[in-house]
Amino acid sequence: MNVDNQGVLAQLSQALAATVEAVGQSVVRVEGRRRGAASGIAWAEDGLVLTAHHSVQRDHDLRLGLPNGEGIDAELVGRDPSTDLALLRAPGGVLQPPAWANVDTLRVGHLVLSVGRPTAALQAGLGIVSALDQAWRTPAGGKVEAYLQTDVALYPGFSGSALVDAEGRVVGMNTSALMRGMSLTVPVATLREVVETLLAHGRVRRGYLGVGVQPAKLPPQAAEALGQKTGLLVVSIESDGSAAQGGLLVGDLIVALGGEPVRHLDDLMFLLGSDAIDATVSLNVVRGGTVTPLSVTVSERT
Amino acid sequence: MTTVLQQLNADLAAVAEDTQRAIVQIKNGRRGAGTGLLVRADGLIVTNAHVVRRRDPTVTLADGRHFHADVVGYDAARDLAVLSVEAEALPALTLREGRTIQPGDWVMGVGHPWGRVGASTGGVIVGVGSHWTWRPLAGKAWVVADVHLRPGHSGCPLVDALGRVVGVGTMIVGPNLGVAVPASAVRALLDQVLRAY
Repeated sequence: MNVDNQGVLAQLSQALAATVEAVGQSVVRVEGRRRGAASGIAWAEDGLVLTAHHSVQRDHDLRLGLPNGEGIDAELVGRDPSTDLALLRAPGGVLQPPAWANVDTLRVGHLVLSVGRPTAALQAGLGIVSALDQAWRTPAGGKVEAYLQTDVALYPGFSGSALVDAEGRVVGMNTSALMRGMSLTVPVATLREVVETLLAHGRVRRGYLGVGVQPAKLPPQAAEALGQKTGLLVVSIESDGSAAQGGLLVGDLIVALGGEPVRHLDDLMFLLGSDAIDATVSLNVVRGGTVTPLSVTVSERT
Repeated sequence: MTTVLQQLNADLAAVAEDTQRAIVQIKNGRRGAGTGLLVRADGLIVTNAHVVRRRDPTVTLADGRHFHADVVGYDAARDLAVLSVEAEALPALTLREGRTIQPGDWVMGVGHPWGRVGASTGGVIVGVGSHWTWRPLAGKAWVVADVHLRPGHSGCPLVDALGRVVGVGTMIVGPNLGVAVPASAVRALLDQVLRAY
């Protein structure tokens, strides 16, 4: 039957099925937890596979289900819980990566497909791009290059599935665990950054101060002087840690780090990224009602 | 000049209308039950086994005519039943042949959810085959789509972009997934029934 003579709906159907099948050559099943398999995306021909961190609940006995039905063993290269990514390695030459596209090729309203492999066979979902926005921080403190939300339902085992555009290119990896109850996609640019870091260090490095904090309201005079209503109250300090050496005291209210305001916990987590490690930065606190400048050398979280 | 979106909408409406003409309501006594699909112009109807709870259910055609139906085929394991009414020249659906429906393919379910006659729900195939780990589906072949099946849809046809039957809607798994018995199982039961005739 000549598809071109059929109506647009039939052509669309054919194109959707063909796209799913083509991208499906790069989508694997990931068996890394008892609850049920998840999906993964072939990252490189040398055997690297990207999946969702929360789907890989053990560090060993990991297995992949290939498009041809076979199973192979994989090992864990590293994880980044802040962006819910995990990098696995399987034998090289078996998987081929898909074509990729940057998120700036998408517009709100565009049709997108999710392609996953929670069982031996491929599964898919269809939806549209619901929202696109600038770089954002996950509640776990990770940095994602762009906010990409779709209305594609993520069925069980679809974390780690590919989000595919109308041209058949993968624009990111889907996960249900970044924000509770929402299906979000980690765009390719972020996947690349995290993969590079995981390959170099086995984990995403984070800065560390050695301080326990909780959110608190600032005293009115300080709030007015600073133009912010909240800061972080220091409730514990690690002896010999960066904060201790910088002269921080229990009861101080952290209001800025490195010149950037600190109002909430995720402000601090964001500022303590890998590039803060070993940097000496200003740390402003409210002590006894007045703003007191301190200086700390950020160490690395181990 | 119409846009692709407008052409798409025209195709969708055409599939829905063609399918609406070829489905029936099936009632057991006073309680409304479900949907059935005509597969032959002389009144052969396919539905779910669980929709048929009497020996002589009542069938209402799209044109409003009522019939008493005979149950001529029954497969409890696959939840299918075949009914027969005495009529002729009725609009009928054909079963899809050729390339098996696949993930991504467009499908539409047309039935009577909550008694709303001839309502349609569209989406894509999520998965086909027997490799299911979801407990209600494990061990049998199913066609699963992201259509919104609701009570009353049981026995409805799931049709492809050309209006051909790819499955018979049988079960709801969550609010966003519709499960259908594959057309191949329907074909197998019809072959049995027609041989007996």
